[in-house]
Amino acid sequence: MNKLRNWQSMIKNLFYFVLVGFLVLAFSKCNGGNDENINIDSLINDDVTAIPEGEIDKIIQSLPSPVEMAALINDVGIPFSKSYLASPEKADDYDTNFKKALGLGVLSADLGYLNVYAQTNEIINYLATIRNISDDLNIGQFFDFQTLKRLATNNENMDSLMFLSVNSFHQMDDHLRKNNRSNLSALVVTGVWIEGLYLVTQIVKNGSDSKELKERIGEQKVIVEMLNQILQVYKVQDKNFELLAADFEKLKMAYEPVDITVETGEVTTQEIDGIIVVIPKDKTVVTMSVNQLNTIVSLTESIRNKLISL
Amino acid sequence: MNRVIFSLIFIAFIIGAGGEKVNAQCKQQVVYNCATNNGKAIYLRDFNTKLRKGKDNDSGTKWAVVLNNGTHYRFNLCAQSGYESSVILTLFDAKHPEDSAPYMVTKSTNDPKTNNRFDFICQKSGTYYVSIRFKEGVEGKKSCAVGVLSFVGKSR
Repeated sequence: MNKLRNWQSMIKNLFYFVLVGFLVLAFSKCNGGNDENINIDSLINDDVTAIPEGEIDKIIQSLPSPVEMAALINDVGIPFSKSYLASPEKADDYDTNFKKALGLGVLSADLGYLNVYAQTNEIINYLATIRNISDDLNIGQFFDFQTLKRLATNNENMDSLMFLSVNSFHQMDDHLRKNNRSNLSALVVTGVWIEGLYLVTQIVKNGSDSKELKERIGEQKVIVEMLNQILQVYKVQDKNFELLAADFEKLKMAYEPVDITVETGEVTTQEIDGIIVVIPKDKTVVTMSVNQLNTIVSLTESIRNKLISL
Repeated sequence: MNRVIFSLIFIAFIIGAGGEKVNAQCKQQVVYNCATNNGKAIYLRDFNTKLRKGKDNDSGTKWAVVLNNGTHYRFNLCAQSGYESSVILTLFDAKHPEDSAPYMVTKSTNDPKTNNRFDFICQKSGTYYVSIRFKEGVEGKKSCAVGVLSFVGKSR
C-alpha cells in the first residue's frame, strides 16, 4: 500500500516538474525570437506613445556607432583638437544612473574621437572614467580595462584598441537593452549622438567650410526625429527625461526647415581593387540656410553643455 | 518544501540549457578576427547571430542600421569553418527587398581580399537592413556567423 502511495506521489511530482519545464520553455521561446518584423520607418511615423518597448530597442540599436562621426571628421582632414572634448573629471559629479548613462555616451563618443586620431595619452583618462561609470551601472564586465590600457599605453595595435573600445560599448549597450534597462540604453545613445553632433558643429562654428560636414549636420534630421520619438516615450514613464525631451523637441523644431530631397536612381556595381562596390545612383540634396545652420549649432552646444554639467 | 526546491533547481537547469541555445552566437575571438582583418577600414559595429535549420528566411537574423549619405562602408561576413560558402549577408531596404532586389549579397570566393565582402557607397541617409542567413537550399545545421560594418571613408 505504502509502495503504491510512493509511486503515485512520484508520478505526481514528475508530472508537476514536466509541466513547470514546459511553461518555462514556452516563455523562454516567446522572449528569444529573432528580429524579423522590424520596419523602423513605419515606427517613426507612428504615434510616439504607442511604440512598444521592443520596437524602441530596435530603433536604438540601429543608430550609428560612437566612432562614425569622428571617422568622418578625420577623413575630411580636420586636425585633432582636445578643446572640443568633455572633461572626464566631470564624471565624478554624476550621481544618478540617469546622469551616468548620458555621461557614458558622451565620453564614449569622445573616446571614439581620440581613437580615430590615435591620441593614446589622452585615451587612458577616458578609459579609466568609462570603466568607473560602467561599474556603477553594473555593466563593467564588458569593459576590459586592463587590455585597453595596455594597448593604449604601449601604443600598439591601434586596430585592436579601436575594436575593443567600440565593441565594449556595443556589448554594454546590448546588455542594458536585454535586461530591461532600455531607458538607460536610450540615454547612452543620446549622449553618443549629441557629442558627435557637438564635435562636428563646433568644427563648423570654428570656421571649417567643409561641405561634407555641413551636409552631415543637415542630414542628422533623420536621427533627431528618431531620438526625439524615443525620449518622448520615456518622458511619460520617467520624470528625469522631461528636460532632455523638451530640449530635443526644440532641436527637432530647429531641424524642421532643413529640406532633404532624394532622387532615386538605379543601383550599380563596380569592381575597385578587386572588391565589389555597390553604388546606388540616388541623389540627396540638403538645403539648409546659414541661419538654420547657426541655430542648430548653438542649440546643440547648449544641450550638450547642459548634459555634461547636469 | 522539497517540491519547491526541486522546482527551482529544475527551472535553473531549463533556463541554463535554453540560455546556451539563445546565446549561441560567435565567440568574441571570431568577431575580433573578422573586424580587424579589414584593411584600413574602421570597425563600426558587428552583427553576430546563431544560425539554425529553418524554413525560408528563418535561419538567421535581421538588423536595422542607419547609414549616412556620402559614406563609403564595407560589409564583410565571417562564418564558422566549413560554413563559409553556406552563409550569406544581405543588404537591403524597403525599396530593395531582401527576397527580390537587395542592394547586394555576399559571395564566397577563394581570394581572401574579396571573399564574403562588398563595399557600399551610401547616397541616401536612412534605415537599411542587414540579414545573415543560410543560403537558400542549404541544409544548414546549427552554426554561427558574424557580419562586420566598417567605415572606409567619405565617398570620393
